[in-house]
This record gives sequence, structure tokens and C-alpha cells, in this order.
Amino acid sequence: MTGWIQALGGFLGRSAETTGYGLVLLARTILSLPHLFSRRRLRDCLDLCFTYCLGSFTVTAVVALFTGMILALNGGDSLASLGQENLIGRIVAISMIREMGPFMTALILTASLGSGIAAEIGTMRVSEEIDALRIMSISPIRFLVLPRLVALTLITPVMTIFAGFIGILGASIVAANNFGVTWIAFSNDALENLSTGDVYIGLIKSVVFGITIATVGATQGLLTKGGATGVGEAARRAVVITFLLVIIQGYYLSWVYLS
Amino acid sequence: MIILENLTKILGGKAILNGLDLQIETGETLVLLGRSGTGKSVTLRHIVGLMTPDGGRVEVLGKEISGHSEEELKYVRSKVGYLFQDGALLNWLTVEENVALPLKEFGKTPTSEINDRVQEVLKEVELDFHADKFPSEISGGMRKRAGLARALISRPEIVLHDEPTSGLDPISSSIINRLVNRLKSSGITQVLVTHDMHSAFEVADRIALLHEGKIRSLGTVEEIRNSADEAVQQFLDGKIKGPLTQGAIDGVCDSEENGNEAT
Repeated sequence: MTGWIQALGGFLGRSAETTGYGLVLLARTILSLPHLFSRRRLRDCLDLCFTYCLGSFTVTAVVALFTGMILALNGGDSLASLGQENLIGRIVAISMIREMGPFMTALILTASLGSGIAAEIGTMRVSEEIDALRIMSISPIRFLVLPRLVALTLITPVMTIFAGFIGILGASIVAANNFGVTWIAFSNDALENLSTGDVYIGLIKSVVFGITIATVGATQGLLTKGGATGVGEAARRAVVITFLLVIIQGYYLSWVYLS
Repeated sequence: MIILENLTKILGGKAILNGLDLQIETGETLVLLGRSGTGKSVTLRHIVGLMTPDGGRVEVLGKEISGHSEEELKYVRSKVGYLFQDGALLNWLTVEENVALPLKEFGKTPTSEINDRVQEVLKEVELDFHADKFPSEISGGMRKRAGLARALISRPEIVLHDEPTSGLDPISSSIINRLVNRLKSSGITQVLVTHDMHSAFEVADRIALLHEGKIRSLGTVEEIRNSADEAVQQFLDGKIKGPLTQGAIDGVCDSEENGNEAT
């Protein structure tokens, strides 16, 4: 019993320590934002934006297309039984823009980029590259974390809009082929019912998710201990923690928006 | 000059450094010897403020650095070059870009001067024909030499070497030793951590043997070679039994010597 309590206490202590480290890291990265406007940092950031977009483009497109199709298939089936299949457009558009798009994109980017950031910085940590930067008086926050955080904060909304568009496109194909809803009827219903607020909340969520993915990835990377096992563990933890945070943040942002 | 006074560091509940006293004179090349885990690298890390001591003080170039912030350490770090075990090069930059990094990052040195200095140090470490290669495309010895070039680009007054010849073939080791001796003749203060006795005797002005977190023995190459200290002789001869392996390891040694499996 005592051992169990000790283990729980240890886990909670470590979690609080990591959370504190992550929040301080985020604050210090935000404070170092002016350093982004040097030619080298700006170039690093743009390179990363390009690499990140390119690396997650295909998987986002495929997942978004099929998510939209699944939503249309399930929603359409239920609506068809009530003779209301012409409402598929609004259901899919609101779901994709307000909820599914940001959430799904965040999960894809967490798995592909968040884990990558943790592994990359973690490897640098265990191979003493971070120490080498410190000795050269190069701040790892400005050099590594800042460009990654900014790049993810910029590309997550872009990829979310892209995912929403592809998802709606997939849904319109299913609506037309399976339920006989024309593209015009589908898009009219979607556009008439989609408010500016829906778009804003989707974008706000995606920005928050982007910051979360980068911060958790960088935190886990910088806290990596041990060799290859430690790097693998950092990447795994980054994915698990970000998934949890994204879903919790998503709920509360929706709650704030709806209330 | 580097002064380590009563330096203590506890890691994982164990005192890795336990009141270590050491003074390294300007222009001197000191080799730190000792068994694995005796705190040699930990000592080096204290000299550049990568670790904060739990007790005692560290003074580098007349400045007390123990417990200072990264900002406060900038001056001392600008005067110190550090060669990491595997070079610690950034793998997305070429050798040339890695070497130029400390100068380019601060943007105070004109590009033409950076290029000249990079070519100069790369030539010095005999890597001028591999400047455009990435760290993954060169050998371990070359990575160490590139790491040394990066450590030298800022023209440091002190160079710290962490296992500069480990894992290298004898020829690559000799190239590194020759570089260390060149730095020595140019008056740079150097501290080397190594297990390579041949290398230690070739480059050292003085040799220090670390044991149980303290300096067990300290002297010139000749003094260490002829030392009457059993621990020094055990280390030099690579004997399994002796003062450096007292305690649990002795038990294993006894079992091994008796032909039994250690259980």
C-alpha cells in the first residue's frame, strides 16, 4: 500500500515538474519572439513551415477526405430515414470546420511533427548537442524551440483549413453519389448554416493546438535522459500528453464558444 | 588559470565529486585520468558551468562561475572551447557550417572574416577537403576534429577535451595528439579527460588521477610514471586488483579469478 502511494506521489511530482518546465519554456519562448526577426531565425522558421507542410500534406488530405466521407455516410443514413438528407451539408461543414478539422489535424500533426520534435531535440540532448549550443552561448530556446513553435503555430491553422476543405469535398462526393444531394444543394446548405464564429473557433482551436504540440514536443525533447530508449520514451510521452491536452482544450474551447 | 576548490557534486544520491581541489595554470596541459564514473567529465562540465556544484567553488580566468546564470557565463564561455566525445555536431549543418556557427549566430563578425577563419581552422585540423560534408558522411575521428575546429574558431584561451581519442584508430589518435600539442605550443590552457595512456603521456604537462571524487595523485608525466602510489601503478598497468577496485568489484574479481561465475 505504501509503495503504491509512493509511486503515485512520485508520478504526480514528476508531472507537476514537467508541467512547470513546459510552461516556463513556453513563456521564455514567447519572450524571445523578437529574436525571430533576424534573417537566420526567419529562414529557419520558413524552412520548417515548408518541411512541416510537405511532410503532413498527404496524410492530412487522405484522413480528412475519408473523415468527411464517413461523416456524410453516417449522417446521411440517419437523415435519409427522416427524409432530410439535404441537411448533410450543414452537418458536415459545421463538424469539419468547428470540431473535426482542428481536432483531426492536431492529432495528425502530433503524431507526425510533435513526436518528431521530441525525438529530434531529445537526440540532440543525449548526444550533447544542446550542451554544445550552451557552451557557444547559443540559446537552445531561440535556436531550436522558437522556430519550431512559430512554424507549428502558423501551419496548424493552414492545415486545418485545408483539412476542412478536403473533408467537405469528400462529404459532397458521398452526398451526391449515395444520397442524390447535388453539389449546389450541398454547398448552399453548408454555406448558409456555417457562421463566421464557427470558422473563428476552428482557427482559434488550431492555433492553441499548434502551440501545444510544439511546446510539449520541445519540453519532452529537452527533458530526455538516457540514450536511444530515452529518445523513444520522449517521443511516446509527447504524443500521449499532447493527445490528452488537445482533447481537453478542444472541449473547453467549444464550451466557451457555445456558452 | 582554472581553480577548483573543495568541489562537491552529488548525482543520484552518490558523491561523484567529493571535495576535489585542483589548480590548472595558464598555458598548462593537464590530463585527468581515472576509472569510468569517477567524475572526470563532471569536472570538465563544472569548468564551463554546464553543471552547478553542490559545494565548493569554480574560478575560471579570474572569475568565480559557480551557480551563475547562462547570461553571466557568457564571458567565460566565450573564452573556452569544448571538444565533446563525439564532436556534438549539428547533423543538419555541414562541417563548414558547424564550425562557423559560433561566429555566424551572433552576426558580429563580417562574413568574409568568418570564411577565412573557418578555412584556417579546418586546415589546421586537416578537414579542409571535407568542409561541405555532413557529420553523418564523415568518420568518428573526423567528427572529433570538426568538433575541435568549432571549439577553436572563437580563438579560446582554454580548451577542454572530453575523451578526444576514444574509439579512434592509432593514426587518428596521433592526429588529435599532434593538434593538442600544437595548441599547447601556442599557449592555450588545456584539460583533457582520457583513458588513453599513450595519449596522456604524449600531451600532458601534468597528470591527475581521480579516485572517489578527489585527486588521488597529481604530478608531471615522469612523476606519475615513477609514482610509488599503488593506485597510480594499478591504473597504469591495468591491474584488476588494487586500491582503485576495492569493495564490490573485488568480490567479482575474486569470483572471476577463481573461475566462478559472479552471482
